[in-house]
Amino acid sequence: MKSVDLCLSSGGAEVVLATSCDEKYPPENIIDGNSETFWTTTGMFPQEFIISFHKRITINKLTIQCYLVQTLRIEKSLSKAPEGFEHCIEKELQFTEGAIQTEEFSFSELQATHLRFVIKSAFDHFVSVHRVMAEGVADNL
Amino acid sequence: MVKLAAKCILAGDSAVGKSALAQMFRNDGAHFQKNYTLTTGVELLVKTVPIPEMSDSVELFLFDSAGKELFSEMLEKLWEQPNALCIIYDVTNEQSFSNCAKWLEKLRARTPGIHLPGVLVGNKTDLIGRRVVEQSRAQEWAEIHGLEYCETSVVSVFFFLHLY
Repeated sequence: MKSVDLCLSSGGAEVVLATSCDEKYPPENIIDGNSETFWTTTGMFPQEFIISFHKRITINKLTIQCYLVQTLRIEKSLSKAPEGFEHCIEKELQFTEGAIQTEEFSFSELQATHLRFVIKSAFDHFVSVHRVMAEGVADNL
Repeated sequence: MVKLAAKCILAGDSAVGKSALAQMFRNDGAHFQKNYTLTTGVELLVKTVPIPEMSDSVELFLFDSAGKELFSEMLEKLWEQPNALCIIYDVTNEQSFSNCAKWLEKLRARTPGIHLPGVLVGNKTDLIGRRVVEQSRAQEWAEIHGLEYCETSVVSVFFFLHLY
């Protein structure tokens, strides 16, 4: 099966939780397929958001485009509801002045129905998340 | 309308009036705490403050820290990732002013690479006769360290608000 980006609102993905909401930069901007638009936090850390795929998917590569994020933790859940998250990966990101941080995580068939992204710390008071891409296949159940 | 959040740390020697100032700020001067209570660790106060001339507001998380050395180890853990600083001293107590450098250094060490906005506050200006730290000296020190400066008297503010 062809590997496609499953992290798109047009493909059925949804941000079901975000700890900040600035109406000008809503969390939906993370999954709109456009790196120009972004979600911004509104102060203090940790911050998090949960993306629900509403079906079980198998991810091979996860890419996040963000700015000023320092410590990022990613968790996954296979439950129907966004609960029972398990630790996936935690990483210290590099400071990139004036340029978007692009982080790629490769997995050998990571299965998930929900992904939780926790921004534990940052290089400044606010951070932005421009896009999350999850390349993989949707399981046909 | 956007609600922003910020963590502001109140620090300074013990008994300079950090808690009194914090309480006064929270309830807009409705009460003045007459009895001294020793703050252990931190006291967290939350107040939503509108930003002038904007429709947005900031939910301010005030971390009123303990001044006593005894609690300093615990403080360091609670001080993570602040957004603003407020260092308070007592204008009738030379030691409390000289210790501001120590407090500032401790706070700055928590946030390497980020410049935090901050303010230095001289409290207890109602005790005119007992004043030992001159305004100009404190003003100069604040400027050198990139802080705003102001003086106040929690007691006077209380009386002022209740007279009018």
